[in-house]
Amino acid sequence: MSNGTPEPLVRFINVRKSYDGKADAVRALNLDVETGEFLTLLGPSGSGKTTTLTMLAGFEQPTEGRIFVGGADVTRVPVEKRGIGMVFQNYALFPNMTVGENIAFPLTVRRTPRAEIAAKVARALSMVRLDGLADRRPQQLSGGQQQRVAVARALVFEPRLVLLDEPLGALDRQLREQMQYELKHLHARLGVTMVYVTHDQIEAMTMSDRVAVFSTGQLRQVAPPRLLYEAPESLFVAQFLGESNTLPGTIARLSGSECSVTLADGTTVIATAVGACAAGTAVNVAVRPEKMVLGAAAAACANKVQATLLEVSFLGDQLRLRLGAFGREDIVVKLANGAGQETLDPGAVLTIGWHAGDCRALAS
Amino acid sequence: MKTLQPSGIVLAFAWLVLSFLVLPAFAVIPVSFTDTRYLSLPEEHWSLQHWRTFLSSQDWVDSIGQSLWIAVVSTVLSVVAGTLCAIGCWRLSSGLSEKIRGLMILPMAVPTIVYALGIYRLYVELDLVGTMLGVMLAHAVTGLPFVVLTVSASLSNLDPRLEQAARGLGASVRQTLRYVIVPNILPGVLSGAIFAFIHSWDELIVVLFIGGRALFTLPRRMWDGINDNLDPVIAVVATAMILFTLLVLTAELSLRARRAS
Repeated sequence: MSNGTPEPLVRFINVRKSYDGKADAVRALNLDVETGEFLTLLGPSGSGKTTTLTMLAGFEQPTEGRIFVGGADVTRVPVEKRGIGMVFQNYALFPNMTVGENIAFPLTVRRTPRAEIAAKVARALSMVRLDGLADRRPQQLSGGQQQRVAVARALVFEPRLVLLDEPLGALDRQLREQMQYELKHLHARLGVTMVYVTHDQIEAMTMSDRVAVFSTGQLRQVAPPRLLYEAPESLFVAQFLGESNTLPGTIARLSGSECSVTLADGTTVIATAVGACAAGTAVNVAVRPEKMVLGAAAAACANKVQATLLEVSFLGDQLRLRLGAFGREDIVVKLANGAGQETLDPGAVLTIGWHAGDCRALAS
Repeated sequence: MKTLQPSGIVLAFAWLVLSFLVLPAFAVIPVSFTDTRYLSLPEEHWSLQHWRTFLSSQDWVDSIGQSLWIAVVSTVLSVVAGTLCAIGCWRLSSGLSEKIRGLMILPMAVPTIVYALGIYRLYVELDLVGTMLGVMLAHAVTGLPFVVLTVSASLSNLDPRLEQAARGLGASVRQTLRYVIVPNILPGVLSGAIFAFIHSWDELIVVLFIGGRALFTLPRRMWDGINDNLDPVIAVVATAMILFTLLVLTAELSLRARRAS
């Protein structure tokens, strides 16, 4: 674009989808996917993430709204005319074809010349490190190898956009982590835009440039993983992504981005105000367990409180403490099990503290 | 693990049932080699005279031609219509498609004589009685259930996401059918074709009703032969039909074995 801001590759504009005419599977969706980025759609099942992907692929049509790919309205364009690469859950390799024929499929149906197909298939096979397996049947390969074939098949015709629908769901944990890095490296090397669906938040954080969090048919927040984790804009995001201590209260005073919140037991905490807040607004104060500190470090914090240690779980690299404070018994603190970490015993009274910047007042 | 050892009684019973099923059909084989002029077992020696009569009789050879031609055309019609119907039902997979599939199996459930009577009334209107086309169409309909059943069984093992994958990777509906769906259900289609073929090959009742005076398929000529006289040529034809059907069924079985491996 002449003004220097590139047009996004994909635009959802006011998209709504209802399967039965009553409940909305997706509603009021406005989302841009930038050229070259790795965007993950994250959410629990039934949140609308898969419906969103399915509409982008063209298997379903939006009830309302429009979808643009590369500046062109594709809302009514049939699946096979969209030129989008796809990787499916459980791979969906064609059992009647060899690995080579599977990878050649998108080229065959596009009537690519034979010699060109052979060269491209060979290149795609070596890209996913499966050289020499072209004549095998998909059933003869391991799960990880089958998934690599599916990835090669989606990339072989050099699409601008590749959609991946929980592609690693069927693999065991170790293989899944390895495939996450492989996919990420492929993405970086080819510069292709990828839209990835998963319900696994760790996977989303590891791989994505940005993550779009969905719940009950609505897009809640789109942001890079770190921002999403450190600065959630809603209680749902704070609780869905990682763990949060949430303390219900009411805003007493607002000054700039900081506010003081009166909690249910009468204590006051200083928090970062999020969104449109005013004095008197009911909020939930969210604090990550690992942002809470103990002892001397706590004394320097804006928020500090005396708490009784109720339970200690030893997790190897970290300690997970459950404490009683603010009239509750479910305050969780995570401590890294660093050098010189002393033993803590239940019953001890400790000071816990945290900074106002690590604590967000989210409208409930 | 203990292997299942059938007891002597069970084994004997199994052989008895098998003989009951098979022997009456095979009884015609020695009869076809009789040296007498009536339906009986060979008395003094085995003779090929009735086989010679069969193969040199223009009527019988014409009947073989008619039966084959009708069976081939009606099988092609059944296979194309039945396969497309089964694929359509599989893709929709709704309550409606279940009902349609049920409807397709109806020709198998309705007594053939009822069906033949109905089709006779219709064919009188359409002027199709006594025509080859008429019999082909009727057999195509009665052969349909075999195809719909076997193809539906094949489709139930096919991952519906394969179709989505093919479309998502750029294949049109026709390319998806050609490269992905049909190759994966081919064994079912061939099984259905073989059953539809055998069905038309030895179908008598519909032909009796709508064959008129012009059409004498193999089963119909046998029927007339038995009614007129007890010519041993009938046994020869029966033997030939059994051998031919066995050949086709063996093809079906070996297909099934290939599918299983």
